[in-house]
Amino acid sequence: LLWKESWAMGKNPMASRGSPLHGPRIKLIEKAHSLFSETKEHTFESKAAEEHAKLIRMQHELEVTTKQAIFVDSSISDTIRTCIVLGNHRAAMKVKTEFKVSEKRWYWLKVFALATIRDWDALEKF
Amino acid sequence: MAQIPNLDNAPLNLTSLREQSQKELLNILKNIRGKKCLVIDPKLGSSLSSIIQTSLLKEHGVELRHLSAEPLQTDCTKVVYLVRSQLDLMKFICSNVHDDVSKGLQREYFVYFVPRRTVVCEKILEEENVYNLMTIGEYPLYIVPLDEDVLSFELDLAYKESQVDGDTSSLWHIAKAIHKLEFSFGVIPNVRAKGKASVRVADILNRMQAEEPVNSPDMVVPEINTLILLDREVDMVTPMLTQLTYEGLLDECLHVNNGSVELDASIMGLQQEGKKIKVPLNSSDKLFKEIRDLNFEVVVQILRQKATSMKQDYTEVTTTTQSVSELKDFVKKLNSLPEMTRHINLAQHLSTYTSKPAFLGQLDMEHTIVEAQSYDICFEYIEELIHKQEPLVNVLRLLILFSITSSGLPKKQFDYLRRELLHSYGFEHMATLNNLEKAGLLRKQESKSNWLTIKRALQLVVEDTDTANPNDIAYVFSGYAPLSIRLVQHAVRSGWRPIEEILKLLPGPHSETKRGRFSSSPSYDTLQAPANMDKVADGRRSLVLVVFIGGITFAEISALRFLSAQEGMAYDLIVGTTKIVSGHSLAETFVERLG
Repeated sequence: LLWKESWAMGKNPMASRGSPLHGPRIKLIEKAHSLFSETKEHTFESKAAEEHAKLIRMQHELEVTTKQAIFVDSSISDTIRTCIVLGNHRAAMKVKTEFKVSEKRWYWLKVFALATIRDWDALEKF
Repeated sequence: MAQIPNLDNAPLNLTSLREQSQKELLNILKNIRGKKCLVIDPKLGSSLSSIIQTSLLKEHGVELRHLSAEPLQTDCTKVVYLVRSQLDLMKFICSNVHDDVSKGLQREYFVYFVPRRTVVCEKILEEENVYNLMTIGEYPLYIVPLDEDVLSFELDLAYKESQVDGDTSSLWHIAKAIHKLEFSFGVIPNVRAKGKASVRVADILNRMQAEEPVNSPDMVVPEINTLILLDREVDMVTPMLTQLTYEGLLDECLHVNNGSVELDASIMGLQQEGKKIKVPLNSSDKLFKEIRDLNFEVVVQILRQKATSMKQDYTEVTTTTQSVSELKDFVKKLNSLPEMTRHINLAQHLSTYTSKPAFLGQLDMEHTIVEAQSYDICFEYIEELIHKQEPLVNVLRLLILFSITSSGLPKKQFDYLRRELLHSYGFEHMATLNNLEKAGLLRKQESKSNWLTIKRALQLVVEDTDTANPNDIAYVFSGYAPLSIRLVQHAVRSGWRPIEEILKLLPGPHSETKRGRFSSSPSYDTLQAPANMDKVADGRRSLVLVVFIGGITFAEISALRFLSAQEGMAYDLIVGTTKIVSGHSLAETFVERLG
C-alpha cells in the first residue's frame, strides 16, 4: 500500500508540471485518483485528485472561451478571482458551486477581486 | 573586513579552528599550480565568507565564480569546483564541462566535495562521461564558527531530510563535527541527549571514539565538560513563534544569513534606489553585542538614551571649554557613531514592521494558541487567513503551532482545513501537506493533548515578565519561555532524572552517558557541585556545548546567553547547530516546489 501511495504521489506532481498537453495530464491525475481510492486511508487524497482533474478541465474550457492562457495551474480561489476581475460573474458562480466553495471564502474573494478592479459600485451593492 | 567575526573573546579557541579550515582550503589551492578559477556552490559561498577573505583567495591567483547552469566564463585553464554533495549541483558541473567540450576548450577540472564525497554524486559524473576528466577531492569543512559562541554545521535541510525523506546522513555529519572538536579540545565526558536523532548522534559519536580514539593525555581536563544534544523535533513550538529579540526580529523581517543581512539601501538612509547592501551583524560590533539579545522594546529605549547622551556631550563640547583629555573621550565616543546610525536605521525599519496590525494580530494569536484555552477562536483565525490567501508560509507556521499544541486536529476540521488550503493555494501543495504530515507537524488528533501539562510543569508561560530587567528566559518572547531552553536549563542544573516524567511526554527517547576515563568516578553525577578538578586550571569556567539538531533560532541563542550570564551559573554555554533557523525558513523547507 505504501509504495502505491508514494508512486501515485510521484505521478501527481509530475503531472502538474505545466505541460501544454492537458489530455495526458488529466489522465495521470485520474490514475492517481483511482490508485488512492483503492485504499481506505486515502479518501482525502483521492478526493483532492478528483477535484484537481475537474479543475484543470474547467480551466481549460475557460481558456478556450476567454482566449487567454491564464487559468491553468492557478488555484481554485485564484480562478474565481480572475473570473470576477474579468467581469465574468457567471463563470465565477459556476466554479463556486462546482467545488462547493463556502460562503465565507466566497465573500473574501469577491471583495478582493472587486477591489482590484476598483468596481466600487458593485462592491457597494454587494 | 567586518564580515569575518572576531573570535578572540570566545570561551573556546575557535580561532585555531577557523585557521585550520583556512589552511586546508589554501593547501588545496596551492597544490594546483598557476591561475585557476574557483567555482563555488552559492550556498557554500556565504559560509566560506565567514571563514576566509576574498582578498586572501585572490592572492593565491584565484578567480571567483558562482556555480550555475550557465556556461562558465573564464580564461583560466584550470577550474576548481567547490560544492556540496547535491545532485542538482552535479548536473550543473556536467553541463559546464559539456559546454567546454563542445566549444573545443581544453581545461583541467578539479572537484572538491564539502565536506565529503558521496558515491551517488560520483556516479552521476561517471554516467555523464566527465568523470575521467576530473580530479576528485574533499574539503573537510564540518564546522563554521559564526560567532564567539555559535558554531554552525551548515546543514540547511537536515531537519526535513531526516523527518520526511528518512535520510539520516546529516546525523553522521553532526557526529563527525563533534568528534573533530574533540580532537582539538578533548573527549567530552558527559553526554545528554533527547530525541531520536540526538540519541543516534550520541551512539555514532561513541562508535567513532571506539574506532578512532582521541587520545588525551591523562592529566589534561577536557575543555568541554558536557554535551547536550537536542532534537528540533522535541520543541517545534518555539521556532514557530515570532521572535521578539532584536536579532531574532531582524531575522524574522530581513532574514539574517551567516551573520549579515542584505537590505535595500533606502532603509539605511542612503539615496541609492533599489540597490542592495550587506550589513554585517556579529559580536565584533560592540553596540550590537550589547543589544542583540535584548527584547526589541528595550532596544529602542537604549538607542534613544544613547542618542540623547551623545547630543548632550556634543552641546557640552561646543559650549564649555574642555580639557584635552575630555575632548579625547568625546572623540572616542564619536567613533561609535557609525554603529549608532546603523542600528537606529535598522530599529526604525523594524518599528514600522512591528506596529502593523497584521503583525500584532499574529503575535496575539500565537499567544492565544500557546495558552491553549480557546480552540475555536484559533481555528477561525487560521481559516480566515487561508480564505484571504495570506502568504502560505505564515499560515503554515500558525497551523503547525496549532496542531502541535493540541496534538493534532479533529478529523473533520483537519480535512476541512486541508481542503481549503488546496483550494486557495493550488493542488500542487498536496505534497507539502504530505511532508508536514510525515514530519508530524500537521496531523489528525488521536489522543488528548498533553501540552497543558508540559506547559505547567516547565513553567513555559510566565506572567508579568519585565522585559527591561529580565529575571527569566521568558523575556525573549515577552512572556513565553522557550521549551527547548527550559530543557537545557534542567539538563545543566541536574541532568535528566528529575524531569524524566515530562521528557516522556515529549517526542523521542532520551539518554545520558558518561565517556572517557571519568566514566567510573561517581562524583560527576550532578553538575551542580563540580569537583575541583572540574575547573580548568586557569580559572576559566568549564564549558557546556549545546547542540541543536535541526536548527536553532536567534531567540533561543539569546536565552542561552542569558542563562550563561546568570549568577551562580558555573558554566559557559556554547551553541552548535545544523543551521540558524526561523519559523519561516523551517516551514519553507517543507513547501514542495515544483517545475
